[in-house]
Amino acid sequence: MIPFWKRAYNWIDERVELEGLVHFLGKKYVPVHRHSLWYYFGGVSLFLFIIQVVTGILLLMYYKGSEELSFESIQFIMSKVQFGWLIRSIHSWTANLFILAAMIHMFSVFFEKAYRKPRELTWLTGMLMFFLALGFGFSGYLLPWNELSFFATKVGTDIAGVIPVIGKLVMPFLRGGDEVSGATLSRFFGFHVAVFPGIFAVFLGIHLLLVQRQGMSEPLGTAKEGGDEFMTMPFFPNFLLRDLLLWLIVLNLLAILAVFFPWELGRKADPFAPAPAGIKPEWYFLFVFQTLKYIPAKLWVVDGEVLGILLFGIAGLLLLLVPFWDRKSSRGEENRFITYLGIFIVLYIIGFTILGWVV
Amino acid sequence: MNKPVHLLSALVFAGLLFAGSLRAADQCLICHTGQGDKPSALFRHDVHFLKGIPCSGCHGGNPNAAEVKQAMNPKEGFIGVPKGDNVSRMCAACHSDSARMRRLGSSLPTDQLESLQSSVHGRLSISGSERLARCTTCHGAHGIRRVKDPSSPVSPLNVVQTCAHCHSNAAFMRMYNPSLPVDQVEKYRTSVHGTRNAKGDVKVAECASCHGSHDIRSAKDVKSRVYPTNIPSTCSTCHGNAAYMVEYHIPTDQFEKFSKSVHGVALLQKGDLGAPACNSCHGNHGAAPPGIESVSKVCGSCHALNADLFSASPHKKVFDEAGLPECETCHGNHEIVAATDKLLGVTPEAVCSQCHSPEENPRGYAAARLMRQLTDSLQSSEKRAASLVSEAEQKGMEISEAKFKLRDARQARMQARTMVHAFDPKKFEEVADRGLGVAGVVQVEAQQSVDEYYFRRVGLLAATLIITTLAVSLYLLIRRIERKQRGLNHVGRRT
Repeated sequence: MIPFWKRAYNWIDERVELEGLVHFLGKKYVPVHRHSLWYYFGGVSLFLFIIQVVTGILLLMYYKGSEELSFESIQFIMSKVQFGWLIRSIHSWTANLFILAAMIHMFSVFFEKAYRKPRELTWLTGMLMFFLALGFGFSGYLLPWNELSFFATKVGTDIAGVIPVIGKLVMPFLRGGDEVSGATLSRFFGFHVAVFPGIFAVFLGIHLLLVQRQGMSEPLGTAKEGGDEFMTMPFFPNFLLRDLLLWLIVLNLLAILAVFFPWELGRKADPFAPAPAGIKPEWYFLFVFQTLKYIPAKLWVVDGEVLGILLFGIAGLLLLLVPFWDRKSSRGEENRFITYLGIFIVLYIIGFTILGWVV
Repeated sequence: MNKPVHLLSALVFAGLLFAGSLRAADQCLICHTGQGDKPSALFRHDVHFLKGIPCSGCHGGNPNAAEVKQAMNPKEGFIGVPKGDNVSRMCAACHSDSARMRRLGSSLPTDQLESLQSSVHGRLSISGSERLARCTTCHGAHGIRRVKDPSSPVSPLNVVQTCAHCHSNAAFMRMYNPSLPVDQVEKYRTSVHGTRNAKGDVKVAECASCHGSHDIRSAKDVKSRVYPTNIPSTCSTCHGNAAYMVEYHIPTDQFEKFSKSVHGVALLQKGDLGAPACNSCHGNHGAAPPGIESVSKVCGSCHALNADLFSASPHKKVFDEAGLPECETCHGNHEIVAATDKLLGVTPEAVCSQCHSPEENPRGYAAARLMRQLTDSLQSSEKRAASLVSEAEQKGMEISEAKFKLRDARQARMQARTMVHAFDPKKFEEVADRGLGVAGVVQVEAQQSVDEYYFRRVGLLAATLIITTLAVSLYLLIRRIERKQRGLNHVGRRT
């Protein structure tokens, strides 16, 4: 008697020829070295994104994206819908952990110089997904339409408004008018559930395809130590099962966070009320926010805030294009400058985030 | 100081130098009296004339010259009749100069002009050219008397009429303050102060006693003595002075009591301008103690619902027949403290028990006891609901809907407390039941939230156990697979 799963496999194989894929997976290996741990953060990011999609779809069944109803609909989700509190809390926590995991993944790739030839496109799609993740965070933060999110969006879109040349166009485009209002909520909702996921899906598809096609990069340092040969482990099942193990741990962590630290809803936004004290953006924007606070209002003839935005824009662009200007790594040579630059960026982000939190 | 004022000072000073010798031989007075003009006749009784200040003290000129051309020659300093604000400046040339006033043996204050200028009369102007009031408006010009002189227009017995000269003139007042009533004098004459004043009592309050004299400010001005928060202390200037009030045989502890009352705390400590001051109950210009019949009307002007319920209650007739002041009988007057539930019921501190006993009035006694029981139940039920809501909130549960309903329970309790004034157990029960129902619903919802909180923890424990089991199984599976794979060559080759 042929087992059911075997018959099911045969049925599919007859139609779509799975043989090639199985053969490919059977021959796929992952390098094993002292930095292998960092490989898992890509998988964790993917897992968290899948959770976001699932919980997001569940929330969509009850969420109402309007100025009058959004706050109340989330209140309803949290108090009346069975396990609504859990779904909403997991969605909020996962949003933050997703950005954290993506950030760790990005910096691990950066420090290992895994973006070097031939993986420039993998880096580019990854970076673009990271920027989209920030967009997800920024647009999703407003959706509960509570006091904090309202004023943080006001501050955030104000900052977007000072971008040279295009700022005057970007701000009303984001807000759907001159001020943050119901129109802003509607378009942020649209970005969050339709525009961003659509673009993200395309980049994610390319990113995963490239990872599968090119395999995982081995850091330059370890290549030297091992000579021509290096240790590997099969992707299937060894690496995939390890991935699953980590995903289970992350899932448990999320459950603990959701139960012990349920995401608060706060008070409904009142556009006519004065801004409450201590308005801060989400933690992943905090270092930018804090830096802008320290830049003097005028530096020579340039507006301090404009200069800050420009510098962050240039830094982001340089990071996005690192595979194209770091020629040394592409030639297989060690580039200490990139390592030191990475250390500086990480310390800067951590330092200014803590400062923004404390001050 | 500007030029005209220098000139005026010089004139007055020159007048004073020759005052003593000139009084008898003041040519101005001789001629003008001879012509039979009224001002010169009045001036002979003027306090200034009696102090030796001649006509030239204000008008300038040479009082020694018999010839009109010389006496009234501008070169001799003659200025004629001072006009507009120059009148007040002329008076202030002496009255604002403390040294000069001391030399003349006067102990009057010297800030009158300053006070007048900052007053409501000084701030308003006639066509923008001169201030609305000047010294002569109230004091007169040539027949100025001491304030204590009964014939002075500003003496306690005349000042009311002096003020009324403008303030009772509707046509005049319309030009400057059309919203201000013009019946103050009429009301004043009906007040205790007014009737005594009319009988010649100079100690009772008249206009200046409450509003001030030179420094009168609008009642809306926070510095005004009749601004709501200042009224109690203004009244107590006299009414809190036991020695001053001794002959009137009325208590003098009203301010002390009022300050401790719920109204006094709201007005004086919290600055709540909606809280009543003395005049809210006693009237202002027509101030008098409210009579027994009018107490509920007075209280009812703010506590309208309570007053209506009381008027329709069985107590109304009984109180009227017994001659009891309605609200005051249970709540007191000046020292009205915040009404608590303790006032209600049959315990010794409850006011109901002062009249109702199980023997003499069993129906009223039972009603009072029932209402108190229901009030206590409402309170404890609301307290329990609030405590559960707070517990659920502290546990991080979303409980805003129950919290909102809790306000309805509180509202029902407030309504029940108002409904006490109907003294109808049936109506009271209706309101109380509604409140108890809402509080019960809130309790259930809040308790469910608290239970849900514990359910979540148990659920998490179960989920963690399942996930841990899965993770351990997965780990063992990986180890088993890798044990089998050991010995196989998984070494890659760099390309």
